[in-house]
Amino acid sequence: MINSMLILSLMILASFRFIFKFIDFSETELASPILWITFFFSGMFALAPIYQREVEQGTKEGLMLAPISASSIYFGKFLATFIIILGLNLFSTVVFFAFFAQPMPDMVLLLGIIVLGTIGFTALGNLISAISANLSQSQVMLPVLLIPILLFTVIMTSVEATFQIFDGAVLADLSNGIKLILAFDIIFVASGYLMIDYIIEE
Amino acid sequence: MADVILKAKGIRRSFGKKNVLNGLDLDLHKGDIYVLFGSNGVGKTTLVKILATLIHSDKGEITHFGMNSDDDLRDIRRKIGFMSHEPYLYRDLTASENLDFFADLYSIPNKEKRIEEMLKMVELYHRSFDKVGSFSRGMKQRLALARTLLHSPDLVFLDEPYSGLDLNAQAMLNKVIKKMNQEGVTFFMITHDLEKGMEIATRRGILSKGKIIADDNTDTGEFLSKYKEILGGENQ
Repeated sequence: MINSMLILSLMILASFRFIFKFIDFSETELASPILWITFFFSGMFALAPIYQREVEQGTKEGLMLAPISASSIYFGKFLATFIIILGLNLFSTVVFFAFFAQPMPDMVLLLGIIVLGTIGFTALGNLISAISANLSQSQVMLPVLLIPILLFTVIMTSVEATFQIFDGAVLADLSNGIKLILAFDIIFVASGYLMIDYIIEE
Repeated sequence: MADVILKAKGIRRSFGKKNVLNGLDLDLHKGDIYVLFGSNGVGKTTLVKILATLIHSDKGEITHFGMNSDDDLRDIRRKIGFMSHEPYLYRDLTASENLDFFADLYSIPNKEKRIEEMLKMVELYHRSFDKVGSFSRGMKQRLALARTLLHSPDLVFLDEPYSGLDLNAQAMLNKVIKKMNQEGVTFFMITHDLEKGMEIATRRGILSKGKIIADDNTDTGEFLSKYKEILGGENQ
């Protein structure tokens, strides 16, 4: 699965590279959306199987029988998915700089925004994945439920903050954006923690 | 009378308009091998899942070892095991990795030794490092038995445990149940297999119309004729 995600992110970035060879857009302005579109679509691959595979393989009940809380299952899955998606996003970032001749921005700030954005993406993705796993057509329901919420919260604020970083912003300029992403992270992680009991238990 | 380790009173569960369990009462005593028979769709699996804390009843009270599942769910789950007709195993992991994962969930001390012991017990030690995806249905069931017993539960629920097992594996299962029962483990089993179930049972019942109706003190002949009578009535 990780290989497929790596190939997908490579393909998305390569597609953008070829498109911008023929269309005269400023790469500097589009760097941030290109990066986050790549994170978004390749990351979606990691979210679908989190709970769906447990349901398909019939292992969800095995987990529920164990003397652990549902929130432990949520946080275990959140942490594992976060590590995978963060690794994937870092890989995509390296490929992005190899493909596009961008002036190097403040890498510490950029990595900070990627980490914060990935936390929110993974937390909400985990929660929606748990909800959609029990629905019929779960593979369709996951993006249908996830995309609108994610797009207008973590992704939009992360794109904005990343744009500012590419534009030469310093930490002080980003404080509002960082606060907003942090707020979304906290809301999504807390929602997962509070709701997972009702979602997992039948 | 031995200690009551599970007490269910007035259990009701419905799916839509269909009442599956209709005020069911059940006491399990320490050391029982209680076998519950019943025809298809009568609610046996629903009952065993409710007793194993996997799903909730709509009404009724259940205590396990004197504890209430609303307050002491984790303590209860630590003391029970459940083997379903679904093995609850990860196909991409090996037999040993599956048990290792569940050993961690139950915080089993000295887990390597325990895993080896369990794999030998279910005669799968030679397949320890093979992925479960390559196992036959019977082998998965045997490994599921090892998973169920890994944390040394005091009360074990078995849902159609003979399905998919060949004759040797069925005999092995009964041998394991008898051995563990002698060590004080209580079993609650639901099965279609009348012969195997009757062979192992120290108590037995019949589930019909949402209640356990047969008396487990009747003799074998009387029990069998009652079972046939109930099955005949339900199939009409």
